[in-house]
Amino acid sequence: MKRFDTTVTSIRPVAEGCFELRFDWPDDAGVPAPGRFFTIKAGGRYDPVLRRPFAFSGYAPPVAGERDGEAAFIFQVRGRGTEFLAALKPGDPLDVLGPLGRGFGKPPRGTRPMLVAGGIGMGPMLYLAAALGADAKAGLCEAPMLVIGVRSAGFIPDVELPAGTVICTDDGSSGFHGTVTEWLAGFDPGLPPVFYACGPAPMMAAVDRLAEVRSAPFEAALEQWMACGVGACAGCAVALKSGRYIKTCVDGPVYDGRLVDWGAAL
Amino acid sequence: MSGTSSGTARGMVPAKLDLTVRIGDLVMQNPVGVASGTFGYGEEYEDLVDIDCLGALYTKAVTPEPRPGNPAPRLADTPAGMLNSIGLANPGLDAFIADKLPRLRARRCAVIVNVAGGTEDDYLRVLDALEAQDGIVGYEINISCPNVAHGGLSFGTDPVQVERLTRRLVDAVGSRAMAGAEARCDRLAGRGRRPLIVKLSPNVTDIAAIAKAAEAGGAVALSCINTLVGMVIDIKTKRPVLAMGSGGLSGPAIRPVGVAMVYKASHAVSIPVIGLGGISDADDALQYLLAGAVAIQVGTAIFSRPEAPLEILAGIREFMEREGIEQVADIRKLLR
Ligand SMILES: Cc1cc2nc3c(=O)[nH]c(=O)nc-3n(C[C@H](O)[C@H](O)[C@H](O)COP(=O)(O)OP(=O)(O)OC[C@H]3O[C@@H](n4cnc5c(N)ncnc54)[C@H](O)[C@@H]3O)c2cc1C
Ligand SMILES: Cc1cc2nc3c(=O)[nH]c(=O)nc-3n(C[C@H](O)[C@H](O)[C@H](O)COP(=O)(O)O)c2cc1C
Ligand code: FES
Repeated sequence: MKRFDTTVTSIRPVAEGCFELRFDWPDDAGVPAPGRFFTIKAGGRYDPVLRRPFAFSGYAPPVAGERDGEAAFIFQVRGRGTEFLAALKPGDPLDVLGPLGRGFGKPPRGTRPMLVAGGIGMGPMLYLAAALGADAKAGLCEAPMLVIGVRSAGFIPDVELPAGTVICTDDGSSGFHGTVTEWLAGFDPGLPPVFYACGPAPMMAAVDRLAEVRSAPFEAALEQWMACGVGACAGCAVALKSGRYIKTCVDGPVYDGRLVDWGAAL
Repeated sequence: MSGTSSGTARGMVPAKLDLTVRIGDLVMQNPVGVASGTFGYGEEYEDLVDIDCLGALYTKAVTPEPRPGNPAPRLADTPAGMLNSIGLANPGLDAFIADKLPRLRARRCAVIVNVAGGTEDDYLRVLDALEAQDGIVGYEINISCPNVAHGGLSFGTDPVQVERLTRRLVDAVGSRAMAGAEARCDRLAGRGRRPLIVKLSPNVTDIAAIAKAAEAGGAVALSCINTLVGMVIDIKTKRPVLAMGSGGLSGPAIRPVGVAMVYKASHAVSIPVIGLGGISDADDALQYLLAGAVAIQVGTAIFSRPEAPLEILAGIREFMEREGIEQVADIRKLLR
């Protein structure tokens, strides 16, 4: 973990209101793993005060003597912080703190990794799909299956999607007409599934119910407002069904989705 | 306060800079601390901040029992600031002593424990237990907590309650041999009392009256200010953003309020005042020192920039060199 000043290497629109931004990732900061995140100071000196958290959508390690490491994330423009990011150009400075939090675990042998992405939860799931895809090629796990849910065709990210990716749109403008969980309910993964998901709370709640029905593990990437990002302020609390709170930034963002009180998050 | 004159001519570099700050029997190595609740127990920031170089570390509030904290969301973004309603989430006194204090003891900076509670007895329980522990150099009493016995109204808003609570707590702090980290911080060595610092709430009509009440109760110093009550409403959902409705406002937006309150409080009492509220750089810190503070704390700015406290320390040093000031405590004498 490190706070560092780095440089934007590229930025491009990938869907309606969404961008992919890449930046130099210093060697000594630690390796960004799927599910982990970082924070950006997105604005001027005094405002906004809170750094904005984002999940890695990809990482290319450095090649000695050739190029630096490069990290990527996909973000949706929502407010002043992400508007600031959308206006950045290659070469612009970027103030980053990371890598932070816990990432995804590996799927047990003989299970089907089912990756479910909704809205801005796309980034970390794309990264996980690529990582597990490589693992599967090396015979370390079964081939993952990526299911993406978006409002309509315009929100499908213009990035290289793994072969066999399922697209679901709310309005039926592309792929399956319906939600990701509607699609999943009718799908037989062949093997016992393991669910990995990142997206809006209603989608996460639906995946939780599905995981319960299938007695499947569920690794959820959580989202909560953050201040410190390092476990010092207790601001990023998420409620568990037990009534206990966890800190999203250090106990998560990837946490056992079966334990999370999705009702409280809605 | 120091007797050294501040009459050195402008532009003259002083022979030696003295950055130490005296708070009762305690000597801090420099005037820059990190504020309660924004730095956890230090260990969280180990990778990002050289903690031993800080003047002081004020811990997250310690209450007798563990507190899970308030429902989520607990944070909201505001113009040049933020709201929090953490709800004093902390592992409780026993876990603090068992799990957090051992690492804190090894720190070279002054470790000051922020104490909170819902009743006077809560505060006393924490203080009594901590008196039996070494490695702590002082207490900061968070009087912004709701008083359960008084319908939840904050202790800190009523001078009578402030004086009584302060007196009871001061009586509980004994003279002791300064050992371990305490000896490192306490240049006087030998025996001394851990200073009791009363942390004032800005949510009052007359901060001077509260400051005087704490002084009358025997407080060794004051810190000023805690967060201001604030609310953000989401116009789409038509609901307050925080689950608790309102929360505490902190960050650059509150700095002018803090400076004015430190000015008022420090001119109303003769005990030292530690200033905080919206300090993000050395210029901000110097405003507080000019207003009458003997030391400062950095809070919310750490979230933006973890290096801020030590950068501020460097900036204060540069200012003293530029202005020809030898002692931090003399900065306030420059105010016109
Ligand atoms: C661990 C983590 C990983 C994330 N990864 C991504 C990602 O890969 N891509 C992406 O686009 N977004 C991601 N987010 C959400 C992202 O941080 C927010 O969208 C962003 O901070 C909004 O900032 P803003 O200033 O543009 O919007 P604001 O004006 O601050 O807010 C706009 C809207 O966004 C919501 N919001 C703001 N911050 C958060 C937050 N931290 N969590 C949930 N909702 C928030 C607010 O409720 C508001 O409705 C992630 C959040 C977390 C906690
Ligand atoms: C997340 C958060 C938690 C806090 N927790 C405490 C606390 O436990 N006890 C306390 O006395 N003050 C607490 N405070 C108040 C700060 O110590 C400080 O007084 C206030 O934030 C103003 O300073 P700042 O603007 O530099 O942050 C907290 C502030 C924040 C932002
Ligand atoms: S953001 Fe501070 S504890 Fe998680």
